Amino acid sequence: MFKVVVGHSNDPDSVEAVAEILEQCLESLAEEAPQAGILFAAFDFDHSLILQQIKQQFPDLELIGGTSSAEISSRLGYQEDSLTLMLFCSDEIEITAGIGYQASHNPRAAVQQAIAPAKSKSSQEISLCLSFIDGLHLSGSKIVEAIKQELNSKIPVFGGVTADDMKFEQTYQFYDQEVCTDAIVTLIFSGKLLLAAGVGNGWNSLSKPKKVTKAENNILYEIDGQPALEFYQYYLNDSAPSLKYPLAVFENNTNKFYLRVPTAHDNQLNSIQFFGDIPQGATVQIMETNAQGILNSSQTSIADALKNYPGTEPAAAIFFSCVTRSSILGTKAATEYQGISAHLNSACPSIGFYTYGEIAPLQKDGAICLHHETAVSLILGTK
Amino acid sequence: MKPNSLDYEQQLKQLKKENRILTKKLQRSQERQIQLEETNQKKESLLKRVILDLEESRDVAEQRTIKLSEALAQLKTTQEQLIESEKMAALGNLVAGVAHEINTPVGNSVTAASTLAEETTSFTTSVMAGQLKRSTLNNYLDLATEASEIILSNLQRAGELIQSFKQVAVDRTSLERRTFGLKSYLSEILVTLEPQLKKTPHQVSVTGDETIHINSYPGAFAQIVTNLITNSIAHGYPTNQSGVIQLDIRHESQQIVIQYQDDGCGIESQYLNNIFEPFFTTNRDGGGSGLGMHIVYNLVTQKLKGTIKVTSQVNLGTIFTIVLPLSDF
Repeated sequence: MFKVVVGHSNDPDSVEAVAEILEQCLESLAEEAPQAGILFAAFDFDHSLILQQIKQQFPDLELIGGTSSAEISSRLGYQEDSLTLMLFCSDEIEITAGIGYQASHNPRAAVQQAIAPAKSKSSQEISLCLSFIDGLHLSGSKIVEAIKQELNSKIPVFGGVTADDMKFEQTYQFYDQEVCTDAIVTLIFSGKLLLAAGVGNGWNSLSKPKKVTKAENNILYEIDGQPALEFYQYYLNDSAPSLKYPLAVFENNTNKFYLRVPTAHDNQLNSIQFFGDIPQGATVQIMETNAQGILNSSQTSIADALKNYPGTEPAAAIFFSCVTRSSILGTKAATEYQGISAHLNSACPSIGFYTYGEIAPLQKDGAICLHHETAVSLILGTK
Repeated sequence: MKPNSLDYEQQLKQLKKENRILTKKLQRSQERQIQLEETNQKKESLLKRVILDLEESRDVAEQRTIKLSEALAQLKTTQEQLIESEKMAALGNLVAGVAHEINTPVGNSVTAASTLAEETTSFTTSVMAGQLKRSTLNNYLDLATEASEIILSNLQRAGELIQSFKQVAVDRTSLERRTFGLKSYLSEILVTLEPQLKKTPHQVSVTGDETIHINSYPGAFAQIVTNLITNSIAHGYPTNQSGVIQLDIRHESQQIVIQYQDDGCGIESQYLNNIFEPFFTTNRDGGGSGLGMHIVYNLVTQKLKGTIKVTSQVNLGTIFTIVLPLSDF
């Protein structure tokens, strides 16, 4: 048995909202006891209060979550300023939550700390790791790198970077009743879980592909020996780099790429700062897209996931989409989830959030990486 | 059916919730509006900056234009000065030639006069001593006659030379208008060029209508012909071969046509379009200033209000055709 339920409230009042989602979940659970859950909450809620209420309702729940820029679910679709909870019940899958603190000081130690409970508790093989991380204290790429090093490469890892409504000031990660920052939280599934995922971004090349000749962490100085800002401005007709023109990064001579979003630039140094690291020596290309590109790619991601699902009846779907995508869609932001949900059975519970970065493999069964401006669809079940 | 109190409570709860949601949405939309306004303000100030930058660039461009115009004016003045100095230099050459030319008859006269003076002294001594012989008297008379003839003819030659030089030189410098016979004036110019032409094997001649009299600027003609001939000598006959240079004048409806022709090496077609440009020369190392033909062009087109055309065939020669409107004379 693997049962998944979802609650979603757009009531801005924390007490009312948490009461509403608990009521919805309890109704769907029909006496089943949930084992674990994931919670996505808008930044303005009283998160501690919400976690306390959930704990009070389900004292043994293994819960993680985080703040988001917008929330999605099969109940209310796309919402801003809302609260959404997904609960998992199973007698065959073990699910364990974990947290690692001060990820910016020692990312590997934080990852070890987060996955330790799952390693000690679960009797079965790990089949999935969901992870939410903070990207404002340390570049998300470094934390994802640490996860890659600590977990067996065969274990699928998905997740996202928690967000704060494009303010880039403070984001929170939830674990049990704790509201933390600079933390990594994980929900580890062990046992025979069936899953499949799709990754889509919908960006097309604008510039020629060139090699990064000078970069340090998330600062890009030179592309093909030319100052990075000049390279950008040549293609953007002298305008400043923006989230509408991310950089595709091709590593190890593959045709698969992940994206990096420019967040600031320095006119003196002619350098550009990105949200996420740019590796020196990688091939990069400036990308562009439009609303249709965004919408098509998220549909591709769910279609790919469904195509590759090894079972017949997925029990749940989880989405991570970048906040920049909703920003490009503007007033049409709700249509991204509408397009995705059209592919799913209406009875299939789903949840998701708009992130500051998406954790998913670069290609099917490949190593994980930190994406930006990308949509990730994950479906899971036991049948 | 009358709704019970539970329904009311339910509805009230729902309404309160919707009110909260709407308030939140309103708050968010107000925040977005503020953001949009800020973005607009930023864009506006950016635009203002761009406009300011553009205005600054325009001012800089205007300044540069002014400076460039000044530089251009300066350049034109310099060019005019150079042309003027070229004219003066040509005049200087002329004076040197004149001096040399006059030197011969004057020198001959001086020699004859000194011989006459010496003979006269010796003759006077003989007379005073009372030793005068008939043969001495006859010799002296022969010598005096010969010397007088030499002196006279040489001084006449010098006088003639001075006359024509004087006319040409005055014309060149003053560029005054007067009436003159075109063909005879052109011949006179050739006389003044004799010192230069004498050193070369070339034959220069003037042919055509002798009756043409015009009221114009003889100095301009002198300068034009001098420059054309100098140009042919300098560039047309590199191997010292002897050439034939011909000036032909004719009357054609309301125009006077002066055709200048040499049988030199010709001008390559690629240079034909440039030869009237100032400072254009294929012989800068040889001392060409590139101004001679430009002066010709300016004099024909501006001073004489005419046109000048050049045709040339390599190894066959070059023809300059100057057409002057008769109405102007």
